[in-house]
Amino acid sequence: MRLLEGELLESREILPRQWLQRYRAPWLAGGVRAGQFVHVRTPDYSGLVLRRPFSVNTVDRKQGEISIHFRIEGKGTEWMARLRPADRLEMMGPLGRPFEVDPRSRHLLLIAGGLGMAGVRALADEALASGRQVAILFGARSAAEVYPSSLLPDEVEYVVATDDGSLGHVGRVTDLLPAFEAWADQAFACGPEPMLAALATLAGGRDARLGVARLGRKGRSRPAGLGTPQARRRSWLQVSMEQNMGCAVGACLGCVVIGVKGPQRVCREGPVFAADEIDWEASA
Amino acid sequence: MTASQPIAEPIGAVPGGEVDLGGVNLSVDLAPARPGALSLRNPVLVASGTFGYGLEYGEVIDVQRLGAICCKGTTLKARAGNPPPRVTETPAGMLNSIGLQNPGVEAVLERYAELWAGWNVPVIVNVAGESIEDYVGVVRRLDGVPGISGVELNISCPNVGAGGLQFAVDPEAAAAVTAAVRRATELPLMVKLSPNVADVRGIAVAIADAGADCLSAVNTLSGMAIDQRRRRAFLGATYGGLSGPALKPVALRVVYEVAQAVKIPIVAVGGVGSLSDVLDFLMAGAVAVQVGTAIFADPGLPLRLVDELRAYCVEHDLTSHRELVGSALPQRRERPSVKGVEYRP
Ligand SMILES: Cc1cc2nc3c(=O)[nH]c(=O)nc-3n(C[C@H](O)[C@H](O)[C@H](O)COP(=O)(O)O)c2cc1C
Ligand code: FES
Repeated sequence: MRLLEGELLESREILPRQWLQRYRAPWLAGGVRAGQFVHVRTPDYSGLVLRRPFSVNTVDRKQGEISIHFRIEGKGTEWMARLRPADRLEMMGPLGRPFEVDPRSRHLLLIAGGLGMAGVRALADEALASGRQVAILFGARSAAEVYPSSLLPDEVEYVVATDDGSLGHVGRVTDLLPAFEAWADQAFACGPEPMLAALATLAGGRDARLGVARLGRKGRSRPAGLGTPQARRRSWLQVSMEQNMGCAVGACLGCVVIGVKGPQRVCREGPVFAADEIDWEASA
Repeated sequence: MTASQPIAEPIGAVPGGEVDLGGVNLSVDLAPARPGALSLRNPVLVASGTFGYGLEYGEVIDVQRLGAICCKGTTLKARAGNPPPRVTETPAGMLNSIGLQNPGVEAVLERYAELWAGWNVPVIVNVAGESIEDYVGVVRRLDGVPGISGVELNISCPNVGAGGLQFAVDPEAAAAVTAAVRRATELPLMVKLSPNVADVRGIAVAIADAGADCLSAVNTLSGMAIDQRRRRAFLGATYGGLSGPALKPVALRVVYEVAQAVKIPIVAVGGVGSLSDVLDFLMAGAVAVQVGTAIFADPGLPLRLVDELRAYCVEHDLTSHRELVGSALPQRRERPSVKGVEYRP
């Protein structure tokens, strides 16, 4: 983790009020892993007192560049959207813990709801670079909000669901899961909490549906070391959670979600969690 | 001292305190009654709840150069805190409702005391409780532990024995908890005032008379936010505490009033975000400041403020920032108003 400055290289509105910005930030690009985030400073402390967290959307290690993808939600993001190439942005990062991919996993399923694409996008590149196959399930309200396939690598299988049926499957992105659950060795999701909760429920029933034998394991006991990278790697579904943040370094306890072992800091223990670390009922 | 020092003797001077190369002495003694027990090299502290246990920001700033660290509020038993969401930004500020999440005093000592003992920077443990016995229990446990340089009492907590009324709003309860803690420890004792009261001066005097070494002022101001989409309170715990620039004028007023009512040192907290804020608080009567919310945007700020304050003193021919302390207070000490807060027309 470091305090650093990124130089804006390119900024464009890829969807209504959604922006993609590419920054030169070599130190960050060198060390960041998919699932981690940066905490971005907005101007004028007298008005906007908090930084804003953004997932690192793509990483180009060779060029020393990263990109972030955000929607204009208020004054801070409005200001960011007005930045021009060569402008500088103060960031702190990389922060949080990354997605954990099991070395044996060949097929990765990424599931994104709306802006949740920003949370899983980097993993598609990482997985392809390591020779894995990637499918992305994406859900949005309507065609107008569907993440452009032109921004995804060609090798990715991209499946879309829209609430109004204006593109792809009619309905929820979670409806698409059953068709992919046997294929996927691991799944990684980011999006609204109800979507993640629904996925967690589906993931919980997956073993039974697929008839996977739980050899050597009695009952439904959780694997030891809940929350460790090893345990997360063994879990079929990992989710990237969102919460308002203060410090983003674990100091203020402002960003917690409720886990089965008590409050978990999204900025420190997260933003990526194994689905079985979260107490979905308490969170709802 | 110069003529700008209006009231009585200088507070917060460290006898023989270190003088740095610029010829400026930024040291300050927060417990003059027990000389040297809590003397800080500089008057910029970090506020409780915004700096964890001192390690979290270790990768981005040199925490050893801070005046002191006030750690997260610590209770006798572990507390899970409030349901999320716990923070939200507001105009020129933020609301938080952490709900005193902490692992309890035993775990805090086990995890951090040894580390703190090896640090140059004093660590002041912020203590919270729901009864006088709670506070005393925590402080007894802290007493004599290497690495603990002082105690800051967070009395903005509901007093379960008194129907949930906060200690901080009642002079008698505030004095009682202060006196009980005073009897339980020799540790330097700072008591943190709440701004959520009609007149803070009587409470401050009661706390000073009960044996506090110094005061910190202020804790957060009670507030709330609405989630319009769901048509309910935004924060999981409904109410939250307002901090940041929006709080500063309130904190300044409290410091100004309390400085005229008590003789013990005052540490200002609330919206410190620049050298100008530090100067305001010094002139209003504080000997030191705590930086809280501003750290979230700018972790380097507290140390920069130390450097800027030193440069200011050099530029204005001051041998110490203490020459500024109280310089904006009324020159003649007036009898305290009986009508309540003084800003009313
Ligand atoms: C996230 C957060 C947590 C806090 N936790 C505590 C606490 O545990 N104990 C306490 O006495 N004050 C706590 N405070 C209050 C601060 O120490 C400080 O009094 C207040 O934020 C005003 O200062 P500021 O405007 O510089 O932040 C907390 C403040 C924030 C923002
Ligand atoms: S944002 Fe402060 S602990 Fe996570």
